Amino acid sequence: MQPEPGTRIWVVIAAYNEAQVIARVVTGVSQRNYRVVVVDDGSRDATGPVAAKAGATVLRHPVNLGQGAALQTGIEYALGRDADHIVTFDADGQHRAEDIAGLIDALTTHGADFALGSRFLGASIDLPRARRMLLKAATWFTRASTGLRLTDTHNGLRAMTRRGASRIALRQNRMAHASELLGQIAQSGLGYVEVPVTIEYSAYSLAKGQKLSDSLAILIDLSAQRLHR
Amino acid sequence: MIAQILLTTLLSGILLYAWIEYRRAPVIGFLSVLAAMTGLYFVWVPAHATRLAALVGIGRGVDLILYVWVVISLIVLLNLHLKLRMQMELITVLARELAIANARLPSKPT
Repeated sequence: MQPEPGTRIWVVIAAYNEAQVIARVVTGVSQRNYRVVVVDDGSRDATGPVAAKAGATVLRHPVNLGQGAALQTGIEYALGRDADHIVTFDADGQHRAEDIAGLIDALTTHGADFALGSRFLGASIDLPRARRMLLKAATWFTRASTGLRLTDTHNGLRAMTRRGASRIALRQNRMAHASELLGQIAQSGLGYVEVPVTIEYSAYSLAKGQKLSDSLAILIDLSAQRLHR
Repeated sequence: MIAQILLTTLLSGILLYAWIEYRRAPVIGFLSVLAAMTGLYFVWVPAHATRLAALVGIGRGVDLILYVWVVISLIVLLNLHLKLRMQMELITVLARELAIANARLPSKPT
């Protein structure tokens, strides 16, 4: 399904050293007539030029700041370009561009401001058992800390309306941004809906994904933020 | 007496530090005041420090004061960590402004 003419849907892709796969990811999204902004988070490889050549607008952080910082940069850019809807999409090729339409549809159908992809309502291909357990634990923690009734809390595939995106202000630069974003959704009081999506793991995406040790760093980051203004 | 004056001066410095930090990080300010006041109390009433130390199994009152000092050092360390985080937030804002101002439009239109 293609977006209706005149609809301004921006897909934000945060990328760090993804030159190997970014062209395929950008092409997959842009051929469905979505506008793509890749935030090159200080990559040391040719991620930025490759993404631009594939059809994306590229914003480059002069230094590596983290996925949360990159997403916030992309969201602010898209809002400045009059986006009606903003989608966040992973750069490592594990998301499917065809799922974007379902997320946008869900926003309209349910009158929600956030549509959150769920691999546990949809499908996860080649998801290792240890990663599944880690994700389940993260889901339990986020449900307890935010009160949101979700089945998948660390899924980077999500869509939001302009109003929803305007309420998001990520301060967690690194991996804790996913929990922070859900906390801000809960605080906003705006509507959200979960949408089944498919996540396809590969050796490449697993190597770049979160590790068990990252969960401890996330907990420290979330705690530290509560200690200062 | 010399040690008491020296420790009092240092702990008063911590109180001043807590006062300065309170507006930015209330938790740090509160913990610093608590630790410094505890330290001052034990410095000037060492008998209580010795009694409390014996009660919790530390041994000598002077050791208890040293432990309080270690706690203060850890609080200061935590505060330094928070300050670094705030610096990083400022750098992020700056980097974001630069990135958006220098947006590179696609080589082929989307």
